[in-house]
Amino acid sequence: MFTPLLDTLLFFTMTTPGIGLLAHRLHRKRLTDVYASLGFSLALLLHALTSHNVLAPGVLTIATGVVADFPLGVTLVVDDLSGFMATIYLLIGLLAAIYSLTYMARDTGLPHYYTLLLGITAGMIGVTSAGDLFTLFIFWEVMCLCSYALVAFRTEGWEPIEAGFKYLLMSGAGSLAALAAMALLYGLTGTLNIAQLSQALSDTLGGPWSALALLLFIAGFGLQAGMAPFHTWLPDAHSAAPAPVSAVLSGAMVMTGIYGLFRVLTLIFTPFLGVWPQMIRIFATVTMFTGNLLALFQDDVKRLLAFSTIANIGYILLGLATQSVTGLTGSLFQILNHALVKALLFLCSGSFNRQAKTRSLRDLAGIGRSMPWTCTVFILGTVALAGIPPLNIFWSEWTILVANVEAEQILFAIVMAANLVLSAAYCLRIIQILLLHGETPTSRAATEAPLSLLIPQVVLGALCVIIGVYPDPFRFFAEAAAKATLNIHAYVSAVLG
Amino acid sequence: MHPTAATRRGTLIPLTYYLVCAAGLYAISAYCLIAKRNMIRLLLALEIMMNATNLLLIAFSSYGAPGLTDPLAHAFTLLSIGIGGCLIAVGLSLILHAYRHYQTLDVRALRRLRH
Repeated sequence: MFTPLLDTLLFFTMTTPGIGLLAHRLHRKRLTDVYASLGFSLALLLHALTSHNVLAPGVLTIATGVVADFPLGVTLVVDDLSGFMATIYLLIGLLAAIYSLTYMARDTGLPHYYTLLLGITAGMIGVTSAGDLFTLFIFWEVMCLCSYALVAFRTEGWEPIEAGFKYLLMSGAGSLAALAAMALLYGLTGTLNIAQLSQALSDTLGGPWSALALLLFIAGFGLQAGMAPFHTWLPDAHSAAPAPVSAVLSGAMVMTGIYGLFRVLTLIFTPFLGVWPQMIRIFATVTMFTGNLLALFQDDVKRLLAFSTIANIGYILLGLATQSVTGLTGSLFQILNHALVKALLFLCSGSFNRQAKTRSLRDLAGIGRSMPWTCTVFILGTVALAGIPPLNIFWSEWTILVANVEAEQILFAIVMAANLVLSAAYCLRIIQILLLHGETPTSRAATEAPLSLLIPQVVLGALCVIIGVYPDPFRFFAEAAAKATLNIHAYVSAVLG
Repeated sequence: MHPTAATRRGTLIPLTYYLVCAAGLYAISAYCLIAKRNMIRLLLALEIMMNATNLLLIAFSSYGAPGLTDPLAHAFTLLSIGIGGCLIAVGLSLILHAYRHYQTLDVRALRRLRH
């Protein structure tokens, strides 16, 4: 019905509750967990096998639905950008599912958990392969609804409930702002197809109504991306969710908001090319400073990581605002690197939380002696996050800086460089506390995490090192996606024929 | 707002009325989201906002071309009503859990999270 990848994920999403029931009857508790991980592995395999089909013609269009006639039917458009994002989502989803095998083993309601985890991934991939705003909104809401339930999954504590409710209200209002923007665009042009919208708006100079739609899109998608001043839900939701969910939220779901901005701003709002990059730059500056300054004195590890996510959104937005191939390559490369590093750090913080029963950095001081493996990988991730050269994030941050200098935005390049110094400061503070401070009773009592928790962390750590040492193949991958994003003509002509 | 909307002005209620009505609904829901303390009322504010958007979509579908109602917007609206139902269901279940923790529906009780 949809693309093979999306069909596979939706199939596993819908059958997981049934498998859960079967597992309950057969008294095989692990069956659901293994089934979900199998679903992610199969989807990733399928994606690896089919993505070259997309790469050959450039843009793959599929029209489905009851009315297959073009403007009315559901249109799915898969190009290099969609493939790039889907790779990240599936990788993070698979590793989170594997990590959950042990991490969530003591929780109840696991069939629901894995259904939601598969559902959020299916929603994200649906958003990236949507060719019209109608489909995009439906998958967007699938993703959002799954994430509200996942944030509040551990209902026995007060924190997930509060964070979940706050997140639901804010994100609900944000999604509705995006929906209102879609309604306005529909009223202006009579279509919701992205390619047709692009064509219809490119002939106009952009009136006040389309300007309002632009603002609503930036607010709606920006809220989901954690852009300041709409970021307040993010630290609460990320720190209240179980660790594998935090990894998916921070590494993948937040980036779907960024994807929405990439797609909508570059394809549809071409008449406003003189206006929105400057707006995005200002938002990016505020976002960076908010994230980095709030992270600087944070004691809760997961909140600190969440604030650092906000700062990284700022860097990515700054790359998007340049509207050059270099800038978008840097942004997309940063999305990949940030996803890997942040997933790694959230999974490690989950291991700390599980073994030492604390999220406070002060209590975790000196934990390097009792949990050497987890601590080593965590510090590797922290060093990468600080942008130290032989590791992956350095390359993407450097590319964004170079793109800003090339675009003659020296002021914003300086702002970003200042923020990189700030982020290095709190990263070094983490390393200092974990390694050099004396042990606390909590950290002395902790034991090393089991192997099943270590494996996903080590895989992510290894990927960070590999991308750091051999960045070129990954940068070419990001560059292809960036070129696909900026090539409006190829997109429109592939869809409209 | 669409050029052809003017040609229908004689037979239908002008589109402006719908726009004003939707804007009024947005204002009401924004006021509720800011001022109300009851969690269920906050959720209703979201629902009002969703209905304002649905009203916009339906109004635009009849004014796009003379004598034609575009089924695309109707299909979209039906699905968006369904999604609104899901949103309310998830929200109410969260409210239920919050009530079990705090024995109140006052959103000010949910102040333990640092900002």
